[in-house]
Amino acid sequence: MVDNNNFALKTNNVYVHYGNKMAINNVALDFPKNEVTSLIGPSGCGKSTFLRCLNRMNDVIDSCKVEGSFIMNNTIDIYRDDLPIENLREKIGMVFQKPNPFPKSIYENVAYGPKIHGVTSSQSELDDLVKESLHRAGLYDEVKDRLTDVATGLSGGQQQRLCIARAISIKPEIILMDEPCSALDPIATAKIEDLINELKENYTIIIVTHSMSQASRVSTKTAFFHLGNLIEEGDTSKIFTKPDKEQTNDYITGRFG
Amino acid sequence: MSNIKKRLKAERRFKFYGQLGVFLSLLFVTLLMLKIFTTGSGAFFRTTIEADVFFDPKFMQVDKNSSDKEISRSSFEALADSVVNNNFKDLNEGQFIKVREMFTRRFDYQLRDYFLDNKDDYKKTVKLKITASSDLDQIVKGNYPRNVPEEQRKINDYQLSILDELNKQERIGSTFNFWFFTNGDSRDPETAGIWGAIMGSFYALMVCLAFAFPIGLFASVYLEEYTKPGKITDLIEVNINNLAAVPSIVFGLLGLGMLIGVFNMPFQVPLVGGLTLGFMTLPTIIIACRSSLRAVPPSIRHGALALGATKTQTTFHHVVPLALPGTLTGTIIGMAQALGETAPLLMVGMVAFVMEIPGGPLDPATGLPSQIYLWSESAERGFIEKTSAGIMLLLLFLILMNLTAVLIRRKVEVKW
Repeated sequence: MVDNNNFALKTNNVYVHYGNKMAINNVALDFPKNEVTSLIGPSGCGKSTFLRCLNRMNDVIDSCKVEGSFIMNNTIDIYRDDLPIENLREKIGMVFQKPNPFPKSIYENVAYGPKIHGVTSSQSELDDLVKESLHRAGLYDEVKDRLTDVATGLSGGQQQRLCIARAISIKPEIILMDEPCSALDPIATAKIEDLINELKENYTIIIVTHSMSQASRVSTKTAFFHLGNLIEEGDTSKIFTKPDKEQTNDYITGRFG
Repeated sequence: MSNIKKRLKAERRFKFYGQLGVFLSLLFVTLLMLKIFTTGSGAFFRTTIEADVFFDPKFMQVDKNSSDKEISRSSFEALADSVVNNNFKDLNEGQFIKVREMFTRRFDYQLRDYFLDNKDDYKKTVKLKITASSDLDQIVKGNYPRNVPEEQRKINDYQLSILDELNKQERIGSTFNFWFFTNGDSRDPETAGIWGAIMGSFYALMVCLAFAFPIGLFASVYLEEYTKPGKITDLIEVNINNLAAVPSIVFGLLGLGMLIGVFNMPFQVPLVGGLTLGFMTLPTIIIACRSSLRAVPPSIRHGALALGATKTQTTFHHVVPLALPGTLTGTIIGMAQALGETAPLLMVGMVAFVMEIPGGPLDPATGLPSQIYLWSESAERGFIEKTSAGIMLLLLFLILMNLTAVLIRRKVEVKW
């Protein structure tokens, strides 16, 4: 088996309830370090809910109850009471479905995270970090002359790459992406996918996607969810060629979902 | 099929009712405005009588070398009387009193103010336009009928004959009434001004803003961003909405009972008036702030939270700045409402006769609406046009404030 140290995050016995409604039913899923894992499944299958458990974004929803064990780097229980949620989110970043840059300048968007966490000690260091983050997100060349322009003036794809730059500016270990391309056109989507392929060198990426072709293009591991259950997980190549389960096969061949 | 005619007829009938309603309401507004403007425009001009003024040492306690302070303290009453005697020859005592009454009672002040600026005219004769008394002013403006029996007129036949004589000599004139904009209240309509009331309202509104805006903003931020929905939140919400509908006189009573009664704050001052208006405006501000906070998309909050910002950082770095235009708009509209409120001012005593211009929120003052109320209650004919002119100014301020609110809303609209 694979060495334990190679997992960035391990989850076990995960149950999520919205009020009385069960959204996730006994899921156990591990995420290998510096790889891309995609979560696929039909709408309402719980894949986004599961993703949001990983940086505790579900805490915002009052009726949402999360149970189970979430262990990061084999040591840190991310639901531990004495772990400040802010520190956790510094380690586990997130990119949302709809690009949500702050209606401030491009520079401010990227600089915000480092500022609140006190990552940099000087203005020039911050400038460099902003530059580097934009560079890594493949956006720097497009915006270098207008860093002070308001970010909402960028195109959808640029906004989403800005959100990725914002997420990596605080150097997280894991990046969660919740259908990051669903609001984008194919060209912008292709750019984001290229970016994901580059980013996995340094980060563990967990991506929720509706597009099976996207999952097969970007990820090394795929997990298929249905009605709150984890039906099957495994190497992407295997899931998309000879899945073990009938349900998985039906889904990837487009027979339902 | 058969009832289509009937249905179309009903359609036309209801359309007609609607148009009639719009027409009538526009008609009433137009009539109101017309009435206010025709009545009030007179207040911006005052009638003057040209007179030769000889700065006669015999009647003056000061000369051209006197200091401003000495001049300000000295009386010009005797000089004013001498001007009347010089310009209207051979008056007996009764006639003198009647002629003197045609000039403003502040005749001496006007002479003093002139002398302060023109000390070199000492022992010289100059032609000055002396303000007429309000009664004469009203006759000249045609607001008083002349053709009624003498005992029903404030200006008697003798004074009318003098007026006609002055008219013939072209010594009756009209000048722009700056006093209306610079003076405080006065017993004499010709010298009464609205500046004191404007300053009173200004200080009261500043106190109201300083009190209600921070409290309203923080209350709504807390209610909107921090509390969990539940019975208590619902109860608070319902109560705030109810408070917004409470008649203003009730808040006036609160101000009277609590601020003046319990906390022993002074009567008549803008501080208390402003706090009372603040109680009244608070629910309006909270409601406006909450709705603009709610209009900030959750994705902005999520973006900040996902970066590891605390709730307070998310709120004050992102949500509140984005909601600010909306909160400012709501606040200005609340202020405009407060500016027009009369009842709370009446309850806390900001409706007294105050001649001095208030210099701060602790000086006795009236407010714009209460000044209008005071003038409307006055018996003097000259105050009628002052009342309308006051209303015009009040409306002007209200329009300006609401316009500012609209402009802020248009200008600072955020694109998502």
